[in-house]
Amino acid sequence: MTKTTKLLLSSAAVALAVTGMAPAQEVAREDTVIFDLDRTIRDPENFNWFTPGTKRMHGAHQTMWEPLFILNYNTGEVDPWLATGFEANADSTEFTVTLRDGVTWSDGEAFNADDVVFTVDMALTNEEISSREAATIRAQVASVEKVDDLTVRFTLNAANPRFIVENFGVRIFGSFLIMPEHIWADENPATFAFYPPIGTGPYTLTSVATNRAIWDRNDDWWGAETGFMDLPEPQRVVFLESGGEESRAQLIATNQMDAAQNVSVGTFEAIQAQNSDVIAWFPDYPYAAADPCARQLEINTTIAPWDSANMRRAVAHIIDRNQIVNVAIDGATTPSRTMFTEYGSMSPFIDAVIEAGYELPARADAEAGQALIEAEGWVRNGDYYEKDGETLSVAIHVNSASTEYTRTIDVIVEQLQRAGIDARAVPVENGVFWGEVLPFGTYEMSYSWLACGSVNEPWASMGRYTVADVVPVGERSPGFNNTSRWNDENAVAYSEIVASMADMALGDPAIPGMVAEAYGHLDAGMPFIPLVQSAKLLPFNTTYWEGWPTSENYYNHPFFWWNSGHQIIHNLTRAE
Amino acid sequence: MADQTVTQSEEVTAKQIRRMKRFDNPWRNPKLIWGAGILLGIVAIGILGRIFWDPDLVFTGSGMTRQAPVGFENLRGQAGTWAHPLGTDGAGRDVLALLIIGAPNSLFVGVLASLIGMSIGIFLGFSAGFIRGRTDDVIRVLSDVMITIPPLLILVVFQAAYGDINLTMMAILIAAFVWQSPTRLIRAQVLSMRESGYVQMARLSGASTMHIMFREMLPNLVPYLFGSFIANVTTSIVTAVGLEVLGLGPQRIPTLGRTIYEAINSGALIQNLWWWWGIPTILLALMFIGLLLINLGLDEVSNPRLRKL
Repeated sequence: MTKTTKLLLSSAAVALAVTGMAPAQEVAREDTVIFDLDRTIRDPENFNWFTPGTKRMHGAHQTMWEPLFILNYNTGEVDPWLATGFEANADSTEFTVTLRDGVTWSDGEAFNADDVVFTVDMALTNEEISSREAATIRAQVASVEKVDDLTVRFTLNAANPRFIVENFGVRIFGSFLIMPEHIWADENPATFAFYPPIGTGPYTLTSVATNRAIWDRNDDWWGAETGFMDLPEPQRVVFLESGGEESRAQLIATNQMDAAQNVSVGTFEAIQAQNSDVIAWFPDYPYAAADPCARQLEINTTIAPWDSANMRRAVAHIIDRNQIVNVAIDGATTPSRTMFTEYGSMSPFIDAVIEAGYELPARADAEAGQALIEAEGWVRNGDYYEKDGETLSVAIHVNSASTEYTRTIDVIVEQLQRAGIDARAVPVENGVFWGEVLPFGTYEMSYSWLACGSVNEPWASMGRYTVADVVPVGERSPGFNNTSRWNDENAVAYSEIVASMADMALGDPAIPGMVAEAYGHLDAGMPFIPLVQSAKLLPFNTTYWEGWPTSENYYNHPFFWWNSGHQIIHNLTRAE
Repeated sequence: MADQTVTQSEEVTAKQIRRMKRFDNPWRNPKLIWGAGILLGIVAIGILGRIFWDPDLVFTGSGMTRQAPVGFENLRGQAGTWAHPLGTDGAGRDVLALLIIGAPNSLFVGVLASLIGMSIGIFLGFSAGFIRGRTDDVIRVLSDVMITIPPLLILVVFQAAYGDINLTMMAILIAAFVWQSPTRLIRAQVLSMRESGYVQMARLSGASTMHIMFREMLPNLVPYLFGSFIANVTTSIVTAVGLEVLGLGPQRIPTLGRTIYEAINSGALIQNLWWWWGIPTILLALMFIGLLLINLGLDEVSNPRLRKL
């Protein structure tokens, strides 16, 4: 009898020891919120967000790491979070950021100016850390210094009125995340795995595997103690890889998921027919929220025959944006007229471009495209154009993670095929696409949104295609900028105008005119072809949780995989 | 009385004649005929379809998306039209055209892969069984090693690395994994056959090894080889469809497997777009039933004891 008990006890102890970290306790479904993750977590026990991979969007920067500010897409204001405010000098070359008092890391250490200075210095001094945010800081910041425990001063290389929102404001997807100095101090930032990770957020990591990450609420969160904000209601946050449209639709229709990644209109209508508690941004067609990253066809301008601007312009003529909207996206978006996202705040710049005559047509003019190809010496022979015995062909790399991507490229492949170009799609896995194909320029054309950036001013997008960022094929493009490697005389003229725009104050009346002038060079050079606006149809389930962002409850955009996901989690309330 | 005897004897004779006929022509086997009929039907769809239907409709954006077949409605309540009798998929491809182009493509990959695999298998099997010695050792070890490697695993890795490939390339890749079992089986048959009288006779009369292998022995193995070939076609199609359903087949060339892959990937089940995944699945099932019937028929042809007389 005693023997048996002993045996049982010791085996229980062994089992506990094997399971390692805090044994995950049961949390009721009503207290758990489950978000969709559209990719595999390749290296689950690595939380070094400075290096490529899934290190943030699986909950790390929505629950654990908090940003300094969050840009509010509705008001256009920068809402303070870990910081309380900032001041700039007259010519926008020096920024002083004030941090919030009472913030602590989840291990109890205080969060202060030392952490900020340390993390920024880490990015400034380590060339090998490659995340986009770190590369941007490295390009912009000359030095950073601590004024006192809660004040940090940044000195910039050049004037930049957008410095805060660009680097610390979660303008698009992420922000430059501050890391705890007391843990990172003696580590090599290029190789440190930072596992187990800590942050200042209201949740801590409970467990992580390749297909999910589980975060449990830290009831000692500084925000509740200082009165910054109440504890969020969900006790547990789960990010679960759903694996494709069908399974994510089934999961959310059967209440096994609370927020899903993008689905097609047809799928969303089918989900709603099964489960009327599922909602989206708009209550009616087209349901989807406008995403600031308009879609485009990226062209590698170093590879013949696409090194000729006229050949790139020919492709632009052949592409029919209306067909992409109707076939690939079920009519739930609109064709792009310029490179910019069609936000109201962008209209002065979009209008200036259109007035200057550079509007992209919604319909194709295949004959104009073919005339350009023929002028380059290609002759149509049967199905395809030929020159010197070579067939005019192109391989288009596309991320296979979403049917939106693959189907858009299928449509473009057909359009090019009909016009006489032997186009084919090359689907590649998400990690390979972002990690190996795009930054190193190992493609002819690809489907992406690398002009993404501008939401209320033109520079963020336009500044991504300047000659300053050109590197040879095989080297990593800094921050995914100018992966087209566009570097001809048009590019030089364009870059000069864009550079002179960089230090002008937001709202300067000269800017729209300069945008139009620069756009003329961009249109002539065509390093990428804007396609369609992006719309994200994200199903939210109100069975267990209410308070999701919608057009009627617009506290911010609905992109829950962004660093601003904190706001969504704080806004959720248990459905009764 | 006398009349009756005559009729009886006539009846017996007729029965006997039928029986004799069956012995005479084992190829007139109902299973064989049905199986061949199904497969020929699929080939006929491919040939006639190209004449009577527009094959260009298989490409993305040929029609409205998600149209139901004639006589049915889709989730939005739109009725099917004769413009697309079997409906369209989520990218506006005509399902009928997908079948016309896709079904023969799937069959083509199977037949080509199996032809290549069998040719290798016949050559190696005969060489190993007839020549014996070191040749036999090498071939036997090689095929034993290869038989332990799961083909789908290797093919998935290869295709993922290589990206887009065409049907022929895919068939050749699959062929690299379907030669082992014919090699082993043929080797076993040849081993027992080489001791038989006619082979000894041929050897004594000075016939060359190649002559004995391929002119004397091979014809006796034909029904057996045929059965093995059909089994191989089935394996090859299963492998090809497996790759396609994972999204690793050719990109722009329509196949049944790829159609199913896209249906799964686009939420066709939850949207009740049954024609998108259901019709290709039925066609694949028919194809396998046809192949199975041929195989069973061939078994009966080569093994008279299986024939129900």
